[in-house]
Amino acid sequence: MPQATRDIQRRIKSVKNTKKITKAMELVAASKMRKAVSKVLATRSYSDLTWETILHLVKKIDTSQHRFFQESKEVKNVAVILVSTNRGLCGSFNAQLVKKVVDSIKLHHPDSRVTDIITFGSKGRDESRRKKLNLIADFDKEDITLSSEIIRPISHMAIKDFVAKKYDKVFIAYTDFMSALKQVPHVKQLLPIVPSIDERLGHIVHEKDEDVDKINVDNFSDFLFEPDTKKVLDAFLPRLVEIQIYQAVLESEASEHSARMFAMRNASDAASEMIDELTLVYNQARQAGITAEIAEIAAGSAALE
Amino acid sequence: MKDIKLKIVTPEKILFSDKVAQVSISTVMGQVTILPNHIPLVSQLSPGEIVIKNNGKEEGLMAVSGGFVEVLPDQVVILADTAERAEDIDEARAEEARQKAEKLLKTKLIDVEQFAMFTAQIEKEMARLKVARKYRKRGVRTGQN
Repeated sequence: MPQATRDIQRRIKSVKNTKKITKAMELVAASKMRKAVSKVLATRSYSDLTWETILHLVKKIDTSQHRFFQESKEVKNVAVILVSTNRGLCGSFNAQLVKKVVDSIKLHHPDSRVTDIITFGSKGRDESRRKKLNLIADFDKEDITLSSEIIRPISHMAIKDFVAKKYDKVFIAYTDFMSALKQVPHVKQLLPIVPSIDERLGHIVHEKDEDVDKINVDNFSDFLFEPDTKKVLDAFLPRLVEIQIYQAVLESEASEHSARMFAMRNASDAASEMIDELTLVYNQARQAGITAEIAEIAAGSAALE
Repeated sequence: MKDIKLKIVTPEKILFSDKVAQVSISTVMGQVTILPNHIPLVSQLSPGEIVIKNNGKEEGLMAVSGGFVEVLPDQVVILADTAERAEDIDEARAEEARQKAEKLLKTKLIDVEQFAMFTAQIEKEMARLKVARKYRKRGVRTGQN
């Protein structure tokens, strides 16, 4: 019996240590989440307004002239930018995202066409290598992306290859931050640009009908472009793509930290439960030991009489 | 009198969102002042200042480093790369930054790309300085902050 109680005690101790770690990680994730969420909310208005501007513009200009709007007749080559995390321990966060990517590749391109993957975040890279996806580039990711300059090489690469007709479509796979409790993996078309209200980032399910600007530009006269249409679009559209990627990265980061916080909270809760159970078993074993000893003593003294 | 809904946003935050009577912006084609019922316009911003006026008096002064503006008859959206209110600019630091950029431009042998970058930086700092000095000289108070 003493052997059994000692084993149980040892396990309780180890679970307690694990709980301390998960508790600490939960607190760290919570503070990072606060930062990431405030960032994503701050940038949303900018990216929404940029998107609204493009919605206004497309009603008034002939979009077929610009490469960014041109749809290929046949979709042969596509690229997917995969925004994932650097660290694990955030539940099924990355697995879900990669699964979504694989599913959407299967869905949209059932025959064996070329799908190239560009990753941002090391977990996505490892996962897509395991799934034998066609990885062509990997960009290093910081824990918290501080400015849109960091993602400029990615947008540059995507735009360059798209303009050179290497790809017919470019997608971005990220996790949409809906609330601290709910994050949804999502694959969005980046290029060619499809101007519609529902394509706004951070809005796939929620807030769909709120303050979408109901300005009807049909009644207005045509837009004046300074210096000229081509120059403005040439400067504006790459910026739009860049902002979209930036926003997607921020959405993913906010989602990542919330997902990790909840994964860690669940782990801490499970640890507490386990400690309670083990303590109960330990006490029972101890009690049984004592009872057995008393019985032995009583039996011994009865034999002497 | 009719007003325009003015929104100034940067990737970091919404800097300004209110109704104003007129706003002056510096675009790559020069300074434009927008009054209500302006013709729809889309233009690229150059580093410079934004002056907001209400009832004939100056209400706000800001420095922008570039971006885009979308003008609709009753709404103006300024998508700035960076923007600062005049009262938030630290003049000494802006001057320092400008000098640093100028010095880098002069001393080092640099390629075309870097040259363009530094020139842009100088332009941006000049715009900030100009706005900061103007603000101090006139002692403009926006009454909002």
